Amino acid sequence: MDIAEIKNLVEPTRIHRSIYTSTEIFDLEMERIFEKTWIYIGHESQIKNPGDYLTVNIGRRPAILVRDAKDNKIHVLHNQCTHRGAKVAGKTCGNARAFRCCYHGWTFKTDGKLAGIPHKVGYEATEINNKNPDLDLKKIRSESYRGFIFANLSMDGPDLKSFLGDAATSIDNMIERSPKGELEIAGGVLRFRHNCNWKFFVDNLNDTMHPMITHQSVGDACEAYVDELPEGEQQCKEAEIISPFGSSYKKFDEMGVSVGPNGHAFTGGTESIHSSYSDIPGYIEAMHKKYGEAKTSQILSINRHNTIFYPSLTIKGAIQAIRIVRPIAVNETEIETWTFRLKGAPDKMLQRTMLYSRLINSPSSMVGSDDLEAYVRLQEGLTSGGTDWVDMSRFTGREEHQDGNMIRAIGTSDISLRNQYQAWLDYMTKAKTREVA
Amino acid sequence: MTTTPKETLQHKCPDLAEMSEFLYDEADLLDQTNLKDWIDLFSEDGTYWMPVVVGQIDPLNHISIFYDDKAMMQIRRHNLKHANAPSKEIDVRSSHIIGNVRIISFDEENGNCQVKSNFQAVVYYGTQTMFAGTYTHDLVKSNDKYLIRQKRVDLINCDASHSSIINYI
Repeated sequence: MDIAEIKNLVEPTRIHRSIYTSTEIFDLEMERIFEKTWIYIGHESQIKNPGDYLTVNIGRRPAILVRDAKDNKIHVLHNQCTHRGAKVAGKTCGNARAFRCCYHGWTFKTDGKLAGIPHKVGYEATEINNKNPDLDLKKIRSESYRGFIFANLSMDGPDLKSFLGDAATSIDNMIERSPKGELEIAGGVLRFRHNCNWKFFVDNLNDTMHPMITHQSVGDACEAYVDELPEGEQQCKEAEIISPFGSSYKKFDEMGVSVGPNGHAFTGGTESIHSSYSDIPGYIEAMHKKYGEAKTSQILSINRHNTIFYPSLTIKGAIQAIRIVRPIAVNETEIETWTFRLKGAPDKMLQRTMLYSRLINSPSSMVGSDDLEAYVRLQEGLTSGGTDWVDMSRFTGREEHQDGNMIRAIGTSDISLRNQYQAWLDYMTKAKTREVA
Repeated sequence: MTTTPKETLQHKCPDLAEMSEFLYDEADLLDQTNLKDWIDLFSEDGTYWMPVVVGQIDPLNHISIFYDDKAMMQIRRHNLKHANAPSKEIDVRSSHIIGNVRIISFDEENGNCQVKSNFQAVVYYGTQTMFAGTYTHDLVKSNDKYLIRQKRVDLINCDASHSSIINYI
C-alpha cells in the first residue's frame, strides 16, 4: 500500500473502514506508529531496586525495562539474544544480576553489555567476543516524564516532553493529588482481552455520545437498586461510581474536550464523571498540610476523565488508574489496567481506585463488557464491507476555541477522533525514519 | 451418651453429602441465571471474590476480577435482565460441575464452616469458554440453614488475559 493510497483513507470528517480491518494496515501501524513513536512501557516504581526488570512489547518488539544492577540507571533493551535471536528474559517481571539466554548461555549485563559466551574456543580469532559492541543487547531510546517511562524505537522525532505537550498536565495533576507529590504502582494488574482492533478502544475513550446508550442499562440498574433500598438508607459507593456513566448529554457537553498535537486529548476540565465522589477522611487534611488550602482546591478542581497519550497510554488522573493499549493483531488487543497509590494518602484512596477499576476496567465490568460488545459489532460490521466510511463529523469546526497549545471543544464533539486520525495519517505517511542506533 | 448443657449448644458437623448438595444448588441457580435466589444465599455481609493472582490475600488494596458485596450483586442482577444492555442481548448459559468437596474447618460453637471444592464451568456466550479452579465457601449457620459469607473463586488462569465475564462463575 503506497502513501497516496493511505492518504485516501482519511478525510477531514470520515475514515475508511479498512483502517480497522486490514491486516496490511495493521502491520504498517506497528511499523510506522508503535515502532516509531513514544510508547509507554512502565512506571519507575515498578523497578525500585537494582536489577528489577519487566518485559514488554513495543509494537511487536520484545523489550526489557531494567534498573541497572550496578549503577541504578534505567535502561530499555531489546529482549533478544544477539546469538540466535531468542528472547533472553522470559518472565513478565523479576530481579536479575544478568540475563542469560536459555539456549546457549550467552550472558548479558543489565546494561545490555555481553558478559560471557560459553566454550568460546570455537570463536577464536573472530569478531565473536564480548569486546564486540555489536553483540550487546541493543539499547532502545527511552525517557521518563516524572516517573512515567516511555520508549521509542526510532532515533528521530521529538523528545518525550515535546511529544506529550500540554496533555502532560494530566500526569502532573495525578502526581499533585498525592500529599507527598509522589505516585507508586500498587495492587497488581488487570488484563482484559478485546477481540477487536485497538483503535476502537482508543476512539471510545473520549466518545461522550455513547454512555447514555451503551451504558443506559448500568445507570438504570443502579437506580433500580437504589429504589429497592429501605427509606433513609444511603446508596452504596458502587452506585456513586457507576451511575455517572449514564449521565445526560448536557453533562457530557459541559465536560468539554481538549485536543493537542500527536493525537493526544482529554475529556473533562473542572467537571467530569469523577467530580462528585464523596470525601475520604484524612485526605483533604493531608493535602492541606502539603499544599495549603488554595493550592489544594486548585489541584482537586482539575477533574479530567480520560487523557489519551496517543497511541499507547490513557490515564484517569482523578482516580489514579491507567490503561495501556497493546495491539496483538488486527482484531485482537490487550488492555492492561494499572493503579497508583497516592503516597501519603489514606489507604481508603487506593481502595476506592481498586473499586473503580474492578467496576469499570475489569473483564467482569458491566461497563467494560458493554463497550467491548459495541467494539466487536463494529469489527464485524466494518469487516462486512456493507458500509465503507465511518463518520466522525459531529460539531466539525463548531464550538471550538484555542486553549494554549490545545483546542478546547464542546464535550460531545468528535474532535478527539478527527485529531487522532490526523495524527494517524501523519505517522502512516511519514518518510522512513532511522532505526535504533 | 451423656449430654452436658454446654454440649446441647454445640452444632453437629455437616456431612459431605449435605455440603455437596448446597454447592450444587448454588451453582444451579447460576446456571439458571436466577440471581435473585442466588443472592439470597448470601449473608448480609456476604461477598463474592475472584482474585486475579494465585494465593491473593487482600481484596481491598489489590485488584481483583470480582469483589462484590451484596449491593453490587443487586446492581448486577438488575443489569443482567435489562432489555438494553448490549452485552446481555445474548443469554449467557453455563454448566457447572463440582467435585472434590471437602470440609476444611468447622466451628462447633456456632456451626460455621469452610468448604472447598473443585469446579469446572463451561460458559456459552456466543463462544464457549471453559473456566476451572477452586471454590472456597465460608458458610455461616443462621436459623438452621447455611448462608454464604464469602464465595471465593480461584481460577487456575486467574492472571490470564480474559475477555468479558458476563455472569458470576
